[in-house]
Amino acid sequence: MTAPAESREKILGRIRAATQTVANAPDVLTTAYSTLSRAYVRQGKLTPEASIDLMIERLREYDAEVVECFPAELPAAIAKQLAASGKHKFLSPSGIPSAWQVAGFDWKIDHGLPTSEIEQAEGVLTASSCGIADSGTIVLHHSPTEGRRVLTLLPDWHLCILKASQVVETLPEYFTLFEHAPPIVTWISGPSATADIEMTRIKGVHGPRFLHVILVRDIS
Amino acid sequence: MSQPAQTHPVLDPVFAPPFPQAALTVLRNPQLRKNVAHAIDVIQSKRAKLVAEKTDWQELRSSASATRAHTLENLDYYLELFESRCTAAGGQVHWAADAAEARQIILDLLRQENATEVIKIKTMTSAEIQLNPFLEKAGINAYETDLAEIILQLGDEEPSHIVVPALHINRSQVREIFARRMGLENLSDDPKDLTNAARTWLRGKFLSIPTAISGANFLIAETGSVAIVESEGNGRMCLTLPRALITLAGIEKVIPRFQDLEVMLQMLARSATGERMNPYTSLWTGVTPGDGPERFHIVLLDNGRSSILARPRERQTLKCIRCAACMNACPVYRQTGGHAYGSVYPGPIGAILTPQLIQMQHAQSLPYASSLCGACYEVCPVKINIPEVLLDLRAQVTDQERHDLGRFFDPMYIGLRIANLLFARAWLFHTAQFIGRIGLRVFTRKDGWIHSLPGIGAKWTQTRDLRGLPDQTFHGWWAARHKEAK
Repeated sequence: MTAPAESREKILGRIRAATQTVANAPDVLTTAYSTLSRAYVRQGKLTPEASIDLMIERLREYDAEVVECFPAELPAAIAKQLAASGKHKFLSPSGIPSAWQVAGFDWKIDHGLPTSEIEQAEGVLTASSCGIADSGTIVLHHSPTEGRRVLTLLPDWHLCILKASQVVETLPEYFTLFEHAPPIVTWISGPSATADIEMTRIKGVHGPRFLHVILVRDIS
Repeated sequence: MSQPAQTHPVLDPVFAPPFPQAALTVLRNPQLRKNVAHAIDVIQSKRAKLVAEKTDWQELRSSASATRAHTLENLDYYLELFESRCTAAGGQVHWAADAAEARQIILDLLRQENATEVIKIKTMTSAEIQLNPFLEKAGINAYETDLAEIILQLGDEEPSHIVVPALHINRSQVREIFARRMGLENLSDDPKDLTNAARTWLRGKFLSIPTAISGANFLIAETGSVAIVESEGNGRMCLTLPRALITLAGIEKVIPRFQDLEVMLQMLARSATGERMNPYTSLWTGVTPGDGPERFHIVLLDNGRSSILARPRERQTLKCIRCAACMNACPVYRQTGGHAYGSVYPGPIGAILTPQLIQMQHAQSLPYASSLCGACYEVCPVKINIPEVLLDLRAQVTDQERHDLGRFFDPMYIGLRIANLLFARAWLFHTAQFIGRIGLRVFTRKDGWIHSLPGIGAKWTQTRDLRGLPDQTFHGWWAARHKEAK
C-alpha cells in the first residue's frame, strides 16, 4: 500500500511513459482538440413549429402527458392539471411565479425543506431550461425556478412547464446554447423506467412515475 | 496484482476456468440460453431501428472515436485538468494504482463517515475491484440499488452483461428470489409487481442511508464534472440524497469538454439499450451548497489501464464507453452469455479488456473466444477494432507459449508437427490419406458425416461434425478420368 500522493505520481508517470507526453504540456484543449472531426449534424432542419410537434410526439411516446396553452392561459392550465391529478399536496421551488401556485391546493415552497417533508408531497411543479425534440428530453439546470434536484425526484408526480421558445431540435443545439456547463444538470427523457426483467419496459421505479408537461406557446 | 478479496470469486479472471470449459456448462443450460437470446434479440432490434433513423451515425462514430483517441493520447493532461477543476468545485480527488488501493481508500472514506451501510449505483468498476465482499468483511453492508443488481445481490448471482447484468434471469426466477429474500410470499411474476417490490424495498434505504458509492460514465476535464446515465432514478437518489458521495472511476473515463457529451450521449443510449436517450442523465460538479451531498470524493483507478495505454495497437481498448453493443452483436456471447468469460467484463470487449487488465498473466483463452466475424467492430460507437486487438493478443499468447516446455505435450503442438511432416512429403501424405480413409470409415454414419470420434478426436466432434472422407481422392479421380480419355 503506497501513500495516495505517491500513487498519483506513479499513475501519471506510467501514463506519460505510455503516451510519451510531458508534464505541464501546452494547452491541448485549444490546439489538438480543436482540430477533431465534427461532421455530424449540429443544426437540425425542422422549422420551430415542427420541432415543437416532434417534442410533443416524443414525450407522448414516453407516456408523458402533454397539454398546450398560450402564456396568458398558463395558470388556468396548471390548475386544470393539478385538479385532474386528484392530488392536493404540492411542492414548488422558491423561484416560480406566484401566479403558478394556483389556489385550492396545499402548496409547500422549498426554502430548504427537509427531505421528510419533500417525501410527503404528492406532486411537484417546476419550470425547465430546455427541451430537446429529437429525443424528447427535458433539461433541468436546477435554477430557482427548477428547484433542487431532490424536488423533482421524490414526489411521484411531476408537472413541468416548458416554453416553446426553449425547444431545440437536436442535442448539439442544446450544447451550443449552453456552452458553459451549469454545475448541476439533469436530462430527463420520459418517466423513470426499467427493462431489467426480460427487457419489458416498466414505467416508474424510483423517480417520478408520472411526468406531465405543459407546453407554453410563447412564440407564434 | 492484488489478492482477491472474495472467498469464491466466480468472476475473478485469475481463478476462472478457461473459456471453452466455462462455456460448456452454459451451453448445457437451455433456460439460461433462452433468457440470454431473448434479451439480446430485443435490444438488437431496438438498436437497429434507432441507429437506422440517425442519418449521421457514421459521422458521430468518427467524432466519438477521434475524441476518445485524442483524450487517451493526452490522458495525463486531461486527468490533471479534471483534478484541478473538481478540487476547485469542492470535490476531493484520490488516485488508486490498483484494486487493493482503491478498496482501501474507499474503506477509509467510509470509516471517516462512520458508515456501516452504503447505497450503491450500479458500477462495473466496483465489481472489477471486488468491492462489495471486501466491504462486507470490514463490517459495511453495501446495498445495490439498480433493479438488475438487486436481483443479482439477493439471488447471490453474478453479472452476465455490463448494461443489463441480470439478463440471464427470467421473471419467474426473479419472483422466486424476491419472494424468498424480501419475505413476499404472494408476489406475482409480473415484471410490474416485481419492480414495485424493489421500489418499496429500497425506498427506506434511500431516505435513511447517508453515504453512497457510484461509478461514472464520463468525467469532464474542462469543468471537473461527473456524468452518469441511468434509467430508473436509483442513481439520482444515490447522487442527491446522501450527505457523502464516493465515486469510483477508471482513469480512461475522462472526456475533454462538456460539449463532447453531445456526441457521447447520442451514441450511448442508442447503442446500449436502443433508446434515443436514457430516462435520466445526471451531471454534477464537486459540491453544490444546499443541493446534494456535502462531501464528494472521487477515486481515479488505474489497475492495469496505463499498461494498456502503453501498447499502441491495444490502446484503443480504453476508448470503450461501456455500451455493450459488442456483446449484443456477438454470435459467441449470444450462445454463452456472460459468465463463461470469467470476468465482470464479458463479450468481445471483455475478451480484450480482461486479459490486458491483468497484464496477460491469466485469461489467455479469452482472445480465442471469438469467431473474428467483426460484428463487434461494426456496432462499436467509438470504433474499437476488436478483431485487430484479439489477433494481437492471440499473438502475445502464442509468444508466451513458445517459451513453455509444456508445449511438447500439447496435442495441438504434436498434431501440427506431424501434419508438417506429412504435408512436406507426397508419398507420406498419400499413405496417410489411404489409412485415414479406411480408419475413419468406421465412424462415418450413413448421412456421410462423422458425429463423434474417440480419444483426442473428440475435441473436434464435441462441438462440431466432421464430413466423412469421400471414397475417392481428387488425385485418384483425376488419374481414373485420364485413363478413360485415353
